[in-house]
Amino acid sequence: MPISGFDDSTRERLSALADGELDPAASTASCAAWGQDPQLRADWHAWHLIGDVLRSDDLAADPRHDRTFSARLAARLKAEPVVLAPASLAGAVGSRFERPSRRGRWTAAGAVAAGFVLVVGTFAVVRPGDSPPAQIARDDVAGAIMAPAVAPAPVTEVSAQPVAIVADNKIIRDAQLERYLEAHKQFAGTSALGVPSAFLRSATVDSAAR
Amino acid sequence: MNAPDADAPLVERVKQGDVKAFEMLVVKYQRRIERLIGRMVRDVDLVPDIAQETFIRAYRALPQFRGDSAFYTWLYRIAVNTAKKSLMELKRDPLVTESARASRDEDEDNPRVDNEPSDAATPDAVLASKQIASAVNFAVEALSEDLRQAITLREIEGLSYEEIAELMNCPIGTVRSRIFRAREAIAARLRPLLDTREGDRW
Repeated sequence: MPISGFDDSTRERLSALADGELDPAASTASCAAWGQDPQLRADWHAWHLIGDVLRSDDLAADPRHDRTFSARLAARLKAEPVVLAPASLAGAVGSRFERPSRRGRWTAAGAVAAGFVLVVGTFAVVRPGDSPPAQIARDDVAGAIMAPAVAPAPVTEVSAQPVAIVADNKIIRDAQLERYLEAHKQFAGTSALGVPSAFLRSATVDSAAR
Repeated sequence: MNAPDADAPLVERVKQGDVKAFEMLVVKYQRRIERLIGRMVRDVDLVPDIAQETFIRAYRALPQFRGDSAFYTWLYRIAVNTAKKSLMELKRDPLVTESARASRDEDEDNPRVDNEPSDAATPDAVLASKQIASAVNFAVEALSEDLRQAITLREIEGLSYEEIAELMNCPIGTVRSRIFRAREAIAARLRPLLDTREGDRW
């Protein structure tokens, strides 16, 4: 085993840096250590090569080529003016250590999920619940986005069969809501009112064709 | 989904004037960038040159990188543009290859022998790549279940330590140590293939 001037904890930190899981102060120290120690540089190369090969066999490369490439580039970098962007000290680049960015990620995911619920919900309200093609169409959408589609299901029945819902669903007992549903039923084009709208008919044909 | 960029700490170092941090990113991405360029440019000999140009351009442009996308996404775009530009120059002036090489040698401290066939294309290099791929896969198979799962979730699934800790039901510190030990174990099997000759060190 080649001898490194640095102990395992230094190398474990370098490994964490490779995954972007090291805080800024420790990252600074790790970069400095990397610059000093050929073994840490060899480790760094080997770990990334391993990651690349795990993701795709065709990223396996002749290490001599990698070394030549890096040495050439390092020589060219010496001729370059040093990059300095002091403004970035405030942390313009999001890292794993900035909690807000993590929360933002979930907020975004939540927003997307909510969006799907909204879309599917609208979809369901507009459709006649009894029509089998509509049911299939809704299931298609539900299948595509998984969980969130469960929520709007009762809404379909509401628009199609308000009477039944009043009997077995406490939430819809509100008189105002019922009047609202009654008033809007005509626009929903349910079979109860006879002739469905042109828009709805074409949608039903579409889904039946699937 | 906009996952936090694993390169952010290194990018931050580069922005503060740490050239070594940029070299670290080069070692990390050089294979992916060369593969990308290799798909766009037929001439195998040109690939490393265009990849070099890509990294130099990225280095120069880094102060403008705001972190709106992942560093690799940004680098990828630079590689595509650099390759397109080279292809256009090649169409205009087929001799550009020669001149590019001549100018390259001038500013190089220790130039490699230019008539030497590109090592990316030699049968030796192809064999070396295949040996490395099979050694890595073999070494991963030989890992204990915990280590294999940790390294796979990180490298293939791209999960964060926090997410892996949740999945494996263990502390984050354990995830970090498992991933490190997995890398060590795989690298140990690779060493005979990676070992540097005297005077040819990282």
